[in-house]
Amino acid sequence: MLTTAPETPAYLPAWFAARQQSAWQRFLAIPAPKRGDETWRFSSIKQLDFSSFRKTPVSGANDLIARSTGLEAPAAKLVFVNDELVHVESRLPEGVICLPLAEALVSHSDLVQTHFMKQETRLGSAKFAALHEASLTNGLFVHVSDKVEVEGTIEVHHWIAGENTVIFPHTLVVTGKSSKVRVVDIFRSADDVAPGLAIAVNDLSAGQNSQLDYVAIQAFNEVTRVIQINETSAFRDASATGFILNTGASWARNETLSRLEGPGSRSDMLSVSIPAHEQEYDQRTFQHHVSEGAYSDLLYKNSLYDHARTIFSGLIFVDKDAHHTDAYQTCRNLLMSDTCEANSMPGLEINADQVKCSHGSTSSQISDEEIFYLRARGIDPVNARQLIARGFSVDVVERLKNNEVEELVLKFIDDKFAHISSRGA
Amino acid sequence: MSLHIQDLHATLENGTEILKGVNLDIPKGEVHAIMGPNGSGKSTLSKVIAGHESYIVTAGSVTQDGEEILGKGIDERSRGGIFLAFQYPSEVPGVSNANFIRAALQARLPKGEEIDAVAYYKNLYSKMDLLEMDRKFTARAVNEGFSGGEKKRNEILQMMMLEPEYCILDETDSGLDIDALKIVAKGVNAMRSPDRGMLLITHYQRLLDYIKPDYVHVMAEGRIVRSGGPELAHELEKDGYEFLKEPALA
Amino acid sequence: MSYDTTDVLDLETREAIDIDRTKGDFTFPERNKFDAGRGLTSATVDYISDVKNDPDWVREFRHKALKVFQDKPMPTNWATKDLEAIDFDIIRYYLSDGEKPKRSWDDVPADVLETFERLGIPQQERAFLAGVEAQFDSEAAYSNVKEELTKQGVIFCNSTEGLKEHEEIFRPWFGKVIPTGDNKFSALNSAVFSGGSFIYIPKGVKLKQPLQAYFRINSENFGQFERTLIIADEGAELMYMEGCTAPKFETATLHSAVVELVALKGAKIQYVTVQNWSSNVFNLVTKRGIAMEDAEVRWIDCNIGSRLTMKYPGVIMKGKRARGEVISIALANTGQHQDTGAKMIHAADDTTSNVVSKSISVGEGRSTYRGQVFIPKHLKGCKNNTECDALLINSHSRTDTYPAITVKGNQHATQHEASVSQVSDDMLFYMQQRGLNEGQAMSLAVNGFINDLVREFPMEYSVELKRLIDLEMEGSVG
Repeated sequence: MLTTAPETPAYLPAWFAARQQSAWQRFLAIPAPKRGDETWRFSSIKQLDFSSFRKTPVSGANDLIARSTGLEAPAAKLVFVNDELVHVESRLPEGVICLPLAEALVSHSDLVQTHFMKQETRLGSAKFAALHEASLTNGLFVHVSDKVEVEGTIEVHHWIAGENTVIFPHTLVVTGKSSKVRVVDIFRSADDVAPGLAIAVNDLSAGQNSQLDYVAIQAFNEVTRVIQINETSAFRDASATGFILNTGASWARNETLSRLEGPGSRSDMLSVSIPAHEQEYDQRTFQHHVSEGAYSDLLYKNSLYDHARTIFSGLIFVDKDAHHTDAYQTCRNLLMSDTCEANSMPGLEINADQVKCSHGSTSSQISDEEIFYLRARGIDPVNARQLIARGFSVDVVERLKNNEVEELVLKFIDDKFAHISSRGA
Repeated sequence: MSLHIQDLHATLENGTEILKGVNLDIPKGEVHAIMGPNGSGKSTLSKVIAGHESYIVTAGSVTQDGEEILGKGIDERSRGGIFLAFQYPSEVPGVSNANFIRAALQARLPKGEEIDAVAYYKNLYSKMDLLEMDRKFTARAVNEGFSGGEKKRNEILQMMMLEPEYCILDETDSGLDIDALKIVAKGVNAMRSPDRGMLLITHYQRLLDYIKPDYVHVMAEGRIVRSGGPELAHELEKDGYEFLKEPALA
Repeated sequence: MSYDTTDVLDLETREAIDIDRTKGDFTFPERNKFDAGRGLTSATVDYISDVKNDPDWVREFRHKALKVFQDKPMPTNWATKDLEAIDFDIIRYYLSDGEKPKRSWDDVPADVLETFERLGIPQQERAFLAGVEAQFDSEAAYSNVKEELTKQGVIFCNSTEGLKEHEEIFRPWFGKVIPTGDNKFSALNSAVFSGGSFIYIPKGVKLKQPLQAYFRINSENFGQFERTLIIADEGAELMYMEGCTAPKFETATLHSAVVELVALKGAKIQYVTVQNWSSNVFNLVTKRGIAMEDAEVRWIDCNIGSRLTMKYPGVIMKGKRARGEVISIALANTGQHQDTGAKMIHAADDTTSNVVSKSISVGEGRSTYRGQVFIPKHLKGCKNNTECDALLINSHSRTDTYPAITVKGNQHATQHEASVSQVSDDMLFYMQQRGLNEGQAMSLAVNGFINDLVREFPMEYSVELKRLIDLEMEGSVG
């Protein structure tokens, strides 16, 4: 897949074809990450050989559509298999555009162009963001008009089916003034054995005084690799919440950047990761305070089993004039085995005045006292450990402040714990 | 010889007017009390006199023994004899009380002159004894981890050490239990002198049972709306600030 | 071990040990008998080896190091681009008058003696030190240790003497804690090192008073490359203090030292630095200690001067229950970048490390903390605690924090906390209402911020530290 330029279908607008072509040139021009690059410190560079992957056409999607269960009653539901839309249903109110990207590119060309991949990818994967841009064929486009509040949740399923298949999921959500929307992306593999690759981008733009919640559930099989690049912009008085759950994939790299663009804006950056076996999660975050008087709060929690490995590198970056910034960053690692490895690089770069910033990072195991307390209540040690580990994650999930979505996320978390304990971990 | 406030107007940086023409005269030797509901501008008045930079004086004057003090810096006013006992004293982490008070006294001496350490500690300890403060207090960081009562006692200690000409006590009674209040009052009463004027700002009459004012003023919506003798405080205690709503007094 | 010497210090002595920046800003004419010239080639290395009459193994060591230095790129992929301002071709790598270090101040040349007297070194020695080494450009001018310590077997000399006369102790550890190729500047030092101390404290000997080294740069465009190796044998204890000054030149001066500490079983080494280089000095220093079973290495480090300091003292905890600690204060004023931190390598069970770092950025100053904590597999009971707090004084200053923590296995606990704060307007108003002007209030707040760390410095240094900070703060507000 890395040798020939993907072709943009003729029915898509010219500006988009031009973007894809220049993205391909950029992909070729940008050197591959190498050891010693700060943005890839502690990373397994060897994971970046994607030469065996290719796009695969869909055959027989009915089974996957049936398995695409999520929320009880989503406001809209889309199912993609290998980036092809195979199912769509919607109960969205007026004033909301919720379309497959390929369709939106034709029907709302200007609107998409205004928001499509505006930010520079600065956390290491610029090359792969370019590959994504050059290769993507579809995705989700959501635009909510001013003052429109979507009560329910837009639910999107992304499946990888077939051996050595690559997908390029794309999610673009734009909220107008004083509007509200919530989107959940669920990433899964059709089976447990076929290796896959996902290079995903999601761009979120929270307009003035709007509320934008985004949840990504990554539950691919354990022979799939993932790069997920998230870019969020929060404008004046907007509130953007981004949550990532990692339970699947052999290797996952998350690059998450929030730009606080207006006073009063707020970004909550949340993540729960539960790696086991040989799974490795590599997360890079950037809290960019462009405007004064904004707030950002990051909480990432990892529970590491078996030979799992995690890397957290976070930076709070406060621009020269972004005075009165409040920015917090916390990464906690719960070490559940004697062979796991947690790397933390919590960073700060402060160039402004009257700033309140802090970061904290801890790595520890479950203490004997905690186990003792639960055993004294009659719970066996294995269950006690599981309960404590679950509680460790639940703490983050509860910050989503929506019961249905919290339940959905917890279901994936519980599946993972069941998977771990069935092997007697 | 008095602290004289004439038609004082002050606004916040955003233009909201808080003081709308305050007139008040506090001669040396007298104790005045200002009472009034929350948000009437009492605390603002104390900060404006001290020179807080968040307020902009738009009209009026504050003179100390005939000399204008508006326009002087905060520390200059302090060294000139204005003392404000804060409602919420700030913490100064890592700086011990003894060093802090000593630095404040040192700032009052001419260049090259040093404080006599022995005399300083003797004086400090005698004041602390009066306020029933533990000796360990000198080594603790200013207000850090202090209880409400300790903070207020510390304010009075600083006042006693700096020996100002005019003392403004902003809600010194808030957050104090009765025993602490009595100790604080003892300190303040010890400071009463023909050479010193005092202004007590309080929401409740309780403080005035222990520190008897010569005059009581009522402040509402940025002005002094009523003045009288100590009996006015009791009247307010009984009837509350309801009378403020009566149009005749507006 | 305690160095409380308040009772032996009268006011006169206190004033005598004043090392404020203005006091260091003077220079004497050069009268160097040996001058390696400008620039660095293998001929420079040979020149230094010839002058010092190096044994062959040292000459070879230097040449290998030169190769490493030349091959290694500048670490500008993570460090500041300001490093590129160093012109290695105009630097003079070796300057000395060819004299051996004197055992008595009476024998030291008059201008060198006057230099150190103005810096208060002989007075300090009389007042509270067990021994002093005073280095002037490339070589020590004076080196002496109290006689009773020599009788106990304490060795305190310069590195040249160490490697020649005590090779059997020196050589096994030399370059072992910090290998030549550790970084570009450790390689540079290994190629051209001269001066610095060699110290050996025999088993069970606990020094009651500190040893001190003082590093003085006198010549323009000079590079000072001292090399220090301290070995505390089993159960031995010592405190070592270093101070430094240089006159302020228009052009850049380079100081690139390597300091290796070895604390054998149960030994304790405390290494105290008050760095007050003038603001044209690039101070690129590699410092690391190794702590064996039950041993302890503490770095107490204060950086006030220099244009750019890059220094990350480290401890390798090689034996069970070893402890490592870094206590660090940095003050970055306009034109300065204090890039400091700590490196804690846990290599045995039940080892404990602690890092407390406080930085203050004033004016257009920049302070950076970089940390590394590494706990490998198959260990248990390792603990690290890291706290870094930054204080910003006004809107043009900058502070960065870049820690990296790796923990393998589940028998450990690490904790990292960092915060950035400001002297709040409320606090300033409160202090000003008590009669302090803005500069005094700021100075008091800054001293309060670092107060708990200043206590870790020996009395003589902490008094000085406060004075230096007052001096810096006075000029920075208003």
